[in-house]
Parts: sequence; structure tokens; C-alpha cells
Amino acid sequence: MSTDPAPPVLKIAGLVKRYGPHIVIDGVDLDVVPGQVVVIVGPSGTGKSTLLRCVNGLEDIQGGSILFEEQPVLSRSRTIHAIRRRIGMIFQSFNLYPHLSALENVMLAPVKVLGEPAKEVEERARGLFRKVRLEHRAHAFPSQLSGGEQQRVAIARALAMNPHLLMFDEPTSALDPETVGDVLTVMEDLATEGRTMLVVTHEIGFARHVGHRMIFMDGGKIVEDRPPADMITDPQNARTKQFLGSILQH
Amino acid sequence: MSPQVAAYWFVFLKGVAITLWISWLALLLGGALGFVVGMMRISKWTALRWLAVVYTEVFRSVPPLVLFFGCFYGLSFALQLDLSPFAAATIALTLTASALMSEVVRAGIESVSHGQWQAAYSSGMRYDQLFRYVVWPQAIRVMLPPSVGVYISTLKDSSLASIIGYVELTKSGLLVRETTGISFEVLLIIAILYFIINYSISLVGTALERRFRYVH
Repeated sequence: MSTDPAPPVLKIAGLVKRYGPHIVIDGVDLDVVPGQVVVIVGPSGTGKSTLLRCVNGLEDIQGGSILFEEQPVLSRSRTIHAIRRRIGMIFQSFNLYPHLSALENVMLAPVKVLGEPAKEVEERARGLFRKVRLEHRAHAFPSQLSGGEQQRVAIARALAMNPHLLMFDEPTSALDPETVGDVLTVMEDLATEGRTMLVVTHEIGFARHVGHRMIFMDGGKIVEDRPPADMITDPQNARTKQFLGSILQH
Repeated sequence: MSPQVAAYWFVFLKGVAITLWISWLALLLGGALGFVVGMMRISKWTALRWLAVVYTEVFRSVPPLVLFFGCFYGLSFALQLDLSPFAAATIALTLTASALMSEVVRAGIESVSHGQWQAAYSSGMRYDQLFRYVVWPQAIRVMLPPSVGVYISTLKDSSLASIIGYVELTKSGLLVRETTGISFEVLLIIAILYFIINYSISLVGTALERRFRYVH
């Protein structure tokens, strides 16, 4: 009676990332199927952000393989640009382009990289500003926006490329507490829409509410990979238990 | 102004025009060369970076006067060609200006944060698109003020071309001084003319900076 599971969007096998002698990622295997929301948690310096940067080829890798929609991700190959166009990336520090307005930030890549007509892109961008609840701020410059607003523009910028995978690298870590909620709400909307998401975060509440899988990374390895509710209430590994304990106490 | 000196107004005027022309030419050539050397500075190939550093440090350190002699006599001798004072002066000024501009270009590029590169690459941009749409528009703001400085210093250095017999503003003035025998007044006029030129450039630079500033 069971239907065949959809083929994974992302297939990581035996991934190794080293900086010189220092091993950051030490043999990671991870498959992500369409529509899945995977939340990655773990102490800082355990390779979570590096893992995301490897997936879109911002970092070269020293071992193993990454397949995105069945294409190998190779940071120095000619195919990398085409792969990156299908992966949206949201950064901890937003990284909006300061010389462009919010609207221009969202429109730049679809118009210049994909070569879509500006008129169509603008229409789509306006819709995205509504989606991230910032329609009144489209003409503001990044420096005029709060952190939470900048991050929502960054999300709209990623969505404008119609990505098949969204990656969030600690999207709320640089935000004032009162703006965290706005960003999380938008991310929850995206998860509910069935977007495929890979989220590095310390927001355990978000993981519990919308995550399908929770991955605990430590020392460059995946230590535990289970449904969020199970992991939060009953962590199997001692390190997971200790880490979640320290986060949930506060 | 004494009438003897005033009679030579057209000599001064021509001197101003030639000084503007040669320093502008040197800035254009130096800017283009400095752009290439600056890009080499951030290349992923070590040999290119190394070459760029040597070029910059050498031509930034050698006094312009030595370069003028080097180009006029040295280059003419080494390459067995008869360089005109104009050609020699242009080359000498270009060498200094390009070394200074390469530093301006490098500093401009480095002022754009790594996060901007990551965001641009993540959206699928190629190296050339990254520079065209993200790096240059931000770097130009940082590059503008020091570029104006390089132009002014190139323009002042161009007075040294008088040594190898190129008749620009300084040499024009010195010729008027010889002819009329009036020294202080002529030198004062030269100084005032240089001031007017450089102050105007400075004002244009400020106006440009304002144009390139974005909302903060």
C-alpha cells in the first residue's frame, strides 16, 4: 500500500570537510526529501554552518559527495552556478546589498542571473513582500530596516529565485528578541507550504512545531537524527541530552 | 600683476592646459593599469598576487623624479628608442599613478564584506556578475576620495616633467621668469594656478562622492 518515497532533493554521503589539519565535518550522511523541514542543532563550531556552505558549493570538500537533484555539487565546476540558483540561502547577518533598495535586492538575481523580464519579477517580488509582511517597506534601504525586517527581505530575496531548497544559517541569532517572532512566523508559513528546508538554529520551539526531523551535530558528526518531539522529550545520546538541557533551561 | 608678466598670459594658459592634459592622461592610463594590478592582488594565483605586490611596492617607493630620469634617459637607452619628453613623462607619471591606484582598487574591493560575496554567489552569480552588480557599486564609494587624492598628486608630480624639458605649467612659468627676469611674481602665479586647479578637482570630487552616497 505504501507509495514510493520521492527521490531525495539532497543526498550527502560520507562528507568530509577539512581546513588544513582541522576536521570540521567528519563523515556526514544526510538525505533530504522534498517538502521535508530538517532542523540542525548543536554546539557552535561543530560544522553546522559549514555543512550548509558545502551544500551550495561555497566551500570545497575533501571527501564524500553531495548530490543536489542528482547533480554533484562541485565548488569549482561550471555547473555550480546553475545549482546555486535552485538553492536559496539565508544568512545569520542577512547580507542584503546596502546599495540597493529592498525591492531591488529581491529583484537583482532573477533579472540579472536568470534574465527574467523586470516587469514580471517586480510583480512576483511585490507578492513576496506581502508574504513576508513587508509590503510597506519595499522601497526602504537595508540600513533603514530593523534586523527582523532585513532578514525577511533576505527571505524574500531567496524566494524570488523559486528555489527547490531553502537553507537557513542561524537566521534569528543576530536579531533583537522582539523581532525574532516575525522571522519565525514567516519561516513557519514556508514550512506549512511544503517548502524543503534545511535550518540551522537554536530555536527549539520552531523545531518542535514545524520540523519533521531534528539533527544533532557534534564534533563534525551527526549524533542523533529523529523527529523533533522525540529528541526533545527523550534524547538518546548523552551529548544531545546535555546540549538540549542547557538550551531548554534558559 | 606687472605688465611684462601679464603679456605672457597665453603661455601660462597653455601651461595649465598641458598640465591638465598630461596628468589626466596619466590618471586614465594609471587607473586602467592600477585596476589590472589591483585585481591581480586578489587573484587566487599566488604568482599573480606576488607580481602585483612587487609592482606596487616598487613604483610607490621610487621618487617620481628618479622615474622621470629613468624613463627619459634609462628607457630611451635600454630600448634604443628616442622617447620624447612627453612620452617619458607620461610613462613615469603612469607608473606612479598605477601603483597608487592599485592600492585604491584593492582597498575598495576589500571594503566589501565577505558576506556580500557569499550572498551574491549563493544567488548563482558568476565572478563577473558579482563584481558588476555587487562589488563595484559598493567599492566605488570607498575608492572615490583616494582616487581624487591620486589625481591631485599626479598633477603635482607632473611639474617634475619640466626637468626633462617638457613644457607644462611649471616649465612655462620658469621660461617666463627667464625672459622677464621677474621671479617672485611668476612663481606666485604658478602656485596660485596649481591651487585653483587642484582645489577645483577637490570640489568636483566632493560633489561626486555625494552623488555616489546611498541612504544610511
